[in-house]
Amino acid sequence: MNVTEYIASGILESYVMGAVSDQERREVECLSSIYPEVGRELDQLSEAIEQYAMLHSVEPPASIKAKLLQQLSFSNHEEEDDEQESDAIVRPMPVDMSSSHAHRTTWIVAACMGLAMLLFSFFLISKLRTNQNALASVRSRNDSLKTVASQLQADQAQSEQVVALLSQPALKRIELKGNKQAPEGDLFVFWNADTKQVAVTVKSLPVLPTDKQYQLWALVDGKPVDAGVFDAGSTNSATQPLNRSIARADAFAVTVEKRGGSPAPTMSTLLAISPVKA
Amino acid sequence: MKRQSSLVSESVLIEKLIQRDQQAFQWLYDQYSPALYGVVLRIVRDDDQAADLLQDIFIKIWKNLDAYDATKGRLFTWMLNVARNTAIDSLRARKTQPYAEIRTDADTVHIVDQEHNTEQPKPEHIGLKDVVNQLRPERKELIDLVYFGGYTHEEAAEKLNLPLGTVKTRVRAALQELKQLFR
Repeated sequence: MNVTEYIASGILESYVMGAVSDQERREVECLSSIYPEVGRELDQLSEAIEQYAMLHSVEPPASIKAKLLQQLSFSNHEEEDDEQESDAIVRPMPVDMSSSHAHRTTWIVAACMGLAMLLFSFFLISKLRTNQNALASVRSRNDSLKTVASQLQADQAQSEQVVALLSQPALKRIELKGNKQAPEGDLFVFWNADTKQVAVTVKSLPVLPTDKQYQLWALVDGKPVDAGVFDAGSTNSATQPLNRSIARADAFAVTVEKRGGSPAPTMSTLLAISPVKA
Repeated sequence: MKRQSSLVSESVLIEKLIQRDQQAFQWLYDQYSPALYGVVLRIVRDDDQAADLLQDIFIKIWKNLDAYDATKGRLFTWMLNVARNTAIDSLRARKTQPYAEIRTDADTVHIVDQEHNTEQPKPEHIGLKDVVNQLRPERKELIDLVYFGGYTHEEAAEKLNLPLGTVKTRVRAALQELKQLFR
């Protein structure tokens, strides 16, 4: 906008004379607040018309002032006190609002922290459960490994015993074949006359009821001597040392006896017999 | 005339007025009531009517103080506009005849007064005479017609039998001359 042109247009003079439309009036008021030059010119013109109006001054009747003072309501001291009191009531409001706002912020922060702690707790609990599960499985595996290890130890001890037995030069191996009662029967008897140790390795023998066991007999001068009991089965094909000492033997025989063995062989259950070769 | 209004900070005065301070009102009344009364009297040309209107005007000013916007103009200018509008509205409401006819008589009387250089009856008009003697008569005539008569530019052009452009130019020239006179 060309300010100089606007000032020169005469609109400001019309404005201070009260001879403008409402739209022109708003325009002048707006532009005078935006452009300092317009505002300054308007101020000077207003002052000129004020001075001109002042020249027309006439002292009004004194009664008017008295009437007005009576008619208009003014603030007195009591009203001022009332205002101060109402102020005292009103003033805490923004303080309350700001403090409640602060409280709200505090609550939001607290709630967020609480939620974070709750989530972290769940995380820790799930982690703990995982660890407990892992520990339990490790323990069970450890137990089964221990079992395996002890089994292996036992097996190894037995194997060492057998190896020690078998590695003796005085060892004798006698093969016993089943008779017609056990046509598939076949087992080896290992005997060391020096150490008096005896062991058997079952190659094939019928599986017995649980209350029965096989019993090995050593025949010495035609008399049977108990040489120990042993089991036969698919799981027990290893060499089994027997816990009897045999110093002399002409032959070895196997019978079926009650579990734990019998003092004398049951001849009806004789399955195999074989002489000891010189 | 005195420029007492500039001696008191207007913003302080307005603040006290809005607080309904009685002293501030008395100061305002003492300061401006003669000017407002003079303007109203100049418009309605009747003492009793002007006195009633002055009372109405100050009640209006008192009630509408909150609506006064200092950024849109000076306080006294605003008060003058309230007084002027109230007086012109009253004049239009009271007269059964078109106000232009009445104003024609009044202005004619005034112009005749000026032309014959007769003494104004009120002592307050002494300063006015000095100013008016410097102001060109056709410019003063137009100011009085528009400012005190409530004429629009178009009405003034018709009344004075002048082109609208001439009226506008003359109004501007008159105000610029006033501005220079009071500088």
